[in-house]
Amino acid sequence: MTALSTRHLLGIKDLTENDLQLVFQTADEFKEVLNRPIKRVPSLRDVTIANVFFENSTRTRLSFELAEKRLSADVVNFSSSGSSVKKGETLLDTVNNILAMKVDMIVMRHASPGAPHFLASRINAGPHPANVINAGDGTHEHPTQALLDAFSIREKLGDLVGKKIAIIGDILHSRVALSNIFCLKKLGADVMVCGPSTLIPRYIADLGVLVSHDVREALRWCDVANVLRIQLERLQVKYFPSLREYALYFGINRQMLDELNKEIVLMHPGPINRGVELTSDAADSRHSIILNQVENGVAVRMAVLYLLAAQN
Amino acid sequence: MPEANLLIRSARLLAPGSAHHNQVRDLLIRQGQLTRIDEPGRIDYDSSGPVLEGTNLHVSAGWFDLRAHAKDPGYEAKEDLATLSRAAAAGGFTEVALLPNTKPIVQTKEGVQYLRRFGETQLVTLHPMAALTLETDGHDFTEMLDLHHAGAVAFTDGERSAWNADLLLKSLQYLAPVGGLVINRPEEPTLAYFGQMHEGLVSTRLGMKGLPPLAEELMIERDLRLLDYLLQQAGPKPRLHVALLSSVGAVELVRQAKRRGLPVSADVAAHHLALTDEALTGFDTNLKVSPPFRTEADRLALWAGLADGTINAIVTDHHPHDVESKHLEFDQAEFGAIGLETAFAVANTYNAGQLSLENLIEKWTDAPRRLLGLPLPVFEENKSLNLTVFDPTLEWTPTETGLHSRAKNSPFLGITLRGRAVAVINKGQVEVFRDYLKIPSA
Repeated sequence: MTALSTRHLLGIKDLTENDLQLVFQTADEFKEVLNRPIKRVPSLRDVTIANVFFENSTRTRLSFELAEKRLSADVVNFSSSGSSVKKGETLLDTVNNILAMKVDMIVMRHASPGAPHFLASRINAGPHPANVINAGDGTHEHPTQALLDAFSIREKLGDLVGKKIAIIGDILHSRVALSNIFCLKKLGADVMVCGPSTLIPRYIADLGVLVSHDVREALRWCDVANVLRIQLERLQVKYFPSLREYALYFGINRQMLDELNKEIVLMHPGPINRGVELTSDAADSRHSIILNQVENGVAVRMAVLYLLAAQN
Repeated sequence: MPEANLLIRSARLLAPGSAHHNQVRDLLIRQGQLTRIDEPGRIDYDSSGPVLEGTNLHVSAGWFDLRAHAKDPGYEAKEDLATLSRAAAAGGFTEVALLPNTKPIVQTKEGVQYLRRFGETQLVTLHPMAALTLETDGHDFTEMLDLHHAGAVAFTDGERSAWNADLLLKSLQYLAPVGGLVINRPEEPTLAYFGQMHEGLVSTRLGMKGLPPLAEELMIERDLRLLDYLLQQAGPKPRLHVALLSSVGAVELVRQAKRRGLPVSADVAAHHLALTDEALTGFDTNLKVSPPFRTEADRLALWAGLADGTINAIVTDHHPHDVESKHLEFDQAEFGAIGLETAFAVANTYNAGQLSLENLIEKWTDAPRRLLGLPLPVFEENKSLNLTVFDPTLEWTPTETGLHSRAKNSPFLGITLRGRAVAVINKGQVEVFRDYLKIPSA
């Protein structure tokens, strides 16, 4: 078990449990590196990585860029909000232009589900195929987020088998939720999704998860609550009346956590809408491992980049 | 390869109503007319002339496609009428009804005449359908009587649903005295906003917005209620055709309506008889069609609907797109797949005994012509022929270079199919495809 089963990271769906464990073990080592005074290793020297972001991102892009630099890769960034099509150039043309400048790996965020799969299938036809890493494709997957979430739970609670994870919020539009479900199920955890009924996909239970529309019930059930951002920007039509009502009936505050009388781990992929899905006193409470997630994100992304580069 | 004279040797005739039905016959054709039909080996024939023979030839009335996108005028980079006609002939179709979704929309006499005039010079007859509403946007009527008399064979907003219940009701009413057929492709738009594929477990796993069968079924229910409402008053009967059934529930609604005696008919696209949403896991945009590929249960219900007569006709829903509209992220790509050249082979290949060959062929021949009130082709000596020669067992594999359509957006590229047309005859013109034609050396 020293190599991944895939040369692209398109989604958690395509990974084996061995792949997941390999990423975690490699990330353990990189996390140790990140806590040394000199945080840089030469593993990816002479490897050029392009971070291609067709959708706004702060932390994911920064996290990837830091991971790349800690591995001594050469890094270029391209960002453009909105679809490339509307800009007059196709996604394929944009990426082929970047690849023509001899780039070895592409980290891409895009608003369309399947965009990295489309890219990977086209790139594979070329003579020196680059590795494609999905940094979020619309409402489909966000594999590195799921990896860092699972890594953070593992760090806090040990093996995930039998652990109860509740994912709370807008499940319908969340790539984080979908990748988390795939990842956690592969690792043997029990998963519940919770949110307003209009934001729970109709067929989600068929993925083997429990469904709740009561935040208190979900909190009582779980060992870990992964609270999602309400993605107002991704709502093309209305699914609930107002943020105010959402906060009142689905938001989590400190009092709710205290009333549980148990240890609970609180997570959030960021950025937090303070006062909507989480109040500040909950987000900043001792239950929260939100900043550990961010720290682990760099180590996990280093592991992914390192393992994929080794495929070449 | 236009041939003035032709002997078709030992072909099984599928022509219900003819004395030769289901018999193996030789057919001698001169100038596109049947000059003799007889048992094999009985016809004296100039040995230097062209002969069509194969191991399993069949002859039927020329195939009729009730639903194809013309793209000409307006989108000739995707397909023009010449490439469409070639694709149709290669697929065995001698007549094609064209949707009005061109640019401009087919909503004037001139629009109808442009299509008819082009068809006059071709082997393949083109039948324009006209828009039901101006610009197909559902807000105002087209001049339906004028269009009807100019040769529009049916009225439909084509790929767009007739969302405006009041206009649909009045159109059915208005066209009833002239026997005009209204075709609606049912989809309640507010339930389909931003949908990319069938709503189900596969769309959930792919993170894609779904198109629920409910959107289709709700509009069928509404349309059937409108028909019911009109039938409660005396007068000529309105006729409604439901296009592109795709779900279990949709088939059942039409089945029950027919049992109640409502004047409703329906069709299904050949590709829906073959594929399900499971095929979309690779995000192949050639599989992005509307209505979407649904589940195995839906696919089997469509076959059952064909078998019991709920579904009258099979259509190609031929929808050509250039690579610029398809080689894109899935949600940016256009809906639609080409089908003229593969439709028969697809339906024939995926027919697991639900329909006899004769019944399958009837869905492409008599059924659509009856719906449009057009004459059925006859097999009589000294009459002009409109026929398709085909081999239902011939295996072949569609490829981008092998297709005649300008567009290459087929879901079946690289997939081996069974059954292919080898010749078409219509309006005195004969076109023979592939190497079935044997010309003895002089």
